[in-house]
Amino acid sequence: MKVLFLGASGLIGPHLTPGLVDDYDLRLTDVKEHPDGIEVEHLDITDYTQVLKAAQGMDAIMNFTVNRSDADLSFHVNTCGAWHVMRAAAELGIRKVVHSGPQAVRSLYDHDFDVDQVPSRPSTGLYGTTKLLSAEICRAYARAHGIQIVSFLFNGLHDAPTEPITGRDFPVMSVVWADLIQACRQALELESVPGGYQEFNLHSHLGHEKYSLERAREILGFEPRPNMAEFYRRPVGEVV
Amino acid sequence: MRILLTGAASPLGRAITDELGEGHQLRLFDSEPIEADERHEVVTASLTDATAVWSAVRDIDAVLHTGEPPAQLPSDELARDQQLLDEATRGTHILCKAAVEAGVKRIVYGSSLDLFAPYPEDVYISEMWKPLPTPAMASMSRYLGELTCREFARDFHVSVTALRLGMLVREDEVAEQAPDLMWLDPRDAARAFAGALQRDTSESPVWSRRWALYHICSLPPNPKYLVSAAAGIGFEPQHNFAANWKSV
Amino acid sequence: MAAKKKVLFLGASGLIGPHLTPGLMDDYDLTLTDVKDHPDGIDIDHVDVTDYEQVLKAAQGMDAIMNFTVVRNDPDLSFHVNTRGALHVMKAAVELGIGKVVHSGPESVRNHCDHDFDIDDMPFQPGPGYYMATKMLSREICQVYARTYDIQTVCYLFNGLSAPPEAPVVGADFPPFTIVWPDLVQACKLALEIESVPGNYQEFNLHSHVGQGKFGLERAHRILGYEPIRNMAEFYRRPTDA
Repeated sequence: MKVLFLGASGLIGPHLTPGLVDDYDLRLTDVKEHPDGIEVEHLDITDYTQVLKAAQGMDAIMNFTVNRSDADLSFHVNTCGAWHVMRAAAELGIRKVVHSGPQAVRSLYDHDFDVDQVPSRPSTGLYGTTKLLSAEICRAYARAHGIQIVSFLFNGLHDAPTEPITGRDFPVMSVVWADLIQACRQALELESVPGGYQEFNLHSHLGHEKYSLERAREILGFEPRPNMAEFYRRPVGEVV
Repeated sequence: MRILLTGAASPLGRAITDELGEGHQLRLFDSEPIEADERHEVVTASLTDATAVWSAVRDIDAVLHTGEPPAQLPSDELARDQQLLDEATRGTHILCKAAVEAGVKRIVYGSSLDLFAPYPEDVYISEMWKPLPTPAMASMSRYLGELTCREFARDFHVSVTALRLGMLVREDEVAEQAPDLMWLDPRDAARAFAGALQRDTSESPVWSRRWALYHICSLPPNPKYLVSAAAGIGFEPQHNFAANWKSV
Repeated sequence: MAAKKKVLFLGASGLIGPHLTPGLMDDYDLTLTDVKDHPDGIDIDHVDVTDYEQVLKAAQGMDAIMNFTVVRNDPDLSFHVNTRGALHVMKAAVELGIGKVVHSGPESVRNHCDHDFDIDDMPFQPGPGYYMATKMLSREICQVYARTYDIQTVCYLFNGLSAPPEAPVVGADFPPFTIVWPDLVQACKLALEIESVPGNYQEFNLHSHVGQGKFGLERAHRILGYEPIRNMAEFYRRPTDA
C-alpha cells in the first residue's frame, strides 16, 4: 500500500513511521527537516497544489500535521490543511485517510466512567477548536465521497516504560508508540469504517475504567500490548 | 468568612472547628447539642429539616458539609440504613439547594476513600479511578451525597469541592496498633477543608472549575492512596503514623 | 410448556404502567401493584415502595421485579420513592434471590446534548432537580447491588412516551427521543428474557424515531437486539410530488 505521510518530522512522526516503513510504501513529508536527518520531502499542507501533487498514486493519506498555538497557523494547518487532504483524496479517488488530533473529553469527563463516544468538548483554545473543525470536515467528506476515515485522538504519547514505576498512578489516556503503530496498521487495513468516520481516544493503560477502549477493540481489534498499567503497580508483600 | 459546618459534633467536625475557629465565624450544625465556645453559633437540627436548614444558611459565605452521619441512629439495621440514606441524599440536597438559593458560593463535602477498598493492594489509587461503592450503606450513602453535591456545581455558580477522606484516626490514639494505608489524622483532614475553602479565591472569571475532587490521606512509606493532586489546595499531611509503620 | 415467569410490577397505575402491562400479560405472570388505583379500574395490589416490608412481601416467589414507580416533584417523596424505593427493590431482590430487575427513569442527555449528535453512551448528567437527582441516585444504587450480587439489571431511560400516531403528521418534525408503547413492550420483554448484561447493569436511552442522527440506539441494538418495530419517523414525512 502506498501511503502519503504528512507531518513526518513532528512530535509523533519520527516514532511512528519506522514501525510502518517495512510494510507500507511510505512517502514521508513535512515543512521541517526530520530530527534524525532522514530524507523527507518538503510539503506545506496549507498549499493545496502541493498536497494534491504528493497524493498522486497514493492508496492512503496519514495526516499527522499540527500547529498548536499560532493564532493564524493553527487554522491554516489544522483546519484548512485537513480540508486540503480530504479534497485531494476526493479528487484522486483515495479511499483511506488516517487523521489525528487531541482528545477533547478530558476536561469535562474526568470524573465520569466508561466514557467512549461522548460529545467532544474541546473548549475555546486554538488547538482544540481547530482540530474539532477538522473532524467535522472529515465527517462531511466521509459522507459525501465514501472515504473511510479513522481518526486517532491523543492525550499523551511516549515510550513504553522499561522498568516498574513506583509511587505514581499511571498517566491518563496515554499511548505508547508500539500501540500507536499497531493502531495505525489496523486503521490502514480496515476495509470499511462504520459510518465512514470513526474517532478513537487511544491509550495503552487499562484500569481506571474511565476512557473506554471497547469500540477500538471491536472495530479495529486494538488492544494495548501489554497493558501499560502493569508498570505502575504498587509493591506489596515483603517489599517496601 | 462565615462558615456553616455540618456534622460539627463529630470528631471531624471538632477538628475543623479547632482548625478554623480562630480565623472565621462558625455556625456549628448537628442533630445533637454541641458544647462550643461562645463566639460560635450552635444549631441543633437535622439536615432533613428544610426550615432549620434554610435558617442555617442565611448570611453564610461557605458551607463545610462533613458528610458525617448523625451520632444517634436507629438500632434496627433497615431503619438505620434508611436514615443514613435519607440524611446523605435528601439531607445533602436540602442543604445544597438552600445554600445556593441563599447565595452561598462555596461548598466543601467530605466523601470517603473507602469507595476504593475493593481494589487490589498493588494498585495506586488516584482521583482517576472509578469508585466502587459496596452496598454497605455507610459508605454507599457517602458516595451518593458526593454525587448529589456535584449536580449543584453543574447548574449553579457555586464551587463544590469533594474531599475523599481516609479513615479518621488520631496519631496519638493508635500508638500500638498495626497501621492502615487509609489512615488520616482528623487534624490533617481539617487542614484539607481549610485548603479547599481557598480554592476559588481569585477574582478572575476563569478562576477555577466549579467542581473539584481531591483524595486526602496520610503518607505512609509505601502509599496506596496518592494525594499529590491535593497539593493543589495546599494539602500536605503532617501526621503520617511513622512510628506505626516503623514497627511493621 | 414452561411456566410463565412471575414478575412483580411496581407502579402499575402510573403514567407508563397502564400502557405497558397489557402487552406483557400474555407472556408473563404479572403481579400489578401501586399506591393508587388503576385508571382503568383493574384490580391491583397496594404496595408502597417506600415501605420495605411491603416490597419484600410482594416480591416473594417472583422471578423478576420491574420498578416503574416515580415521584417527580415532591422534595421528600422524590427521595423516598425514587431513591429509597430503588434501594428496597434491590435489597428485596438480594434477600429473595431474585436475579433480574428492570429499572426506569428519565434520560439526562437532552439538556446537555441537544446540539450534539450520535449520542449513545453518555455519562449521566442530571442536574440537581428532585426528579433527576433522585433518579440518578437510584441508578447508582442499582449498579452497586447489580455488581455485588449478580442481579442482572436493565435500566430504561425515557424522554417521552406515547401511542404511535394513527395517521401521517404533516407540518411537524417528529418528537426527539420518544418511544411508542409497542416498542416499550418489546424492550421490556427483551430485558426480562436476556440472560445477562455486561457488567450486570446496563442502561439505555430508548426511543422509536430514527433519523435526526442524534440519539443513537446502537448499544441497545447490540446488547438487547432492540430495534423500533417500525421507524416512527415515517409518520412525519413531508408530502412531495413523488
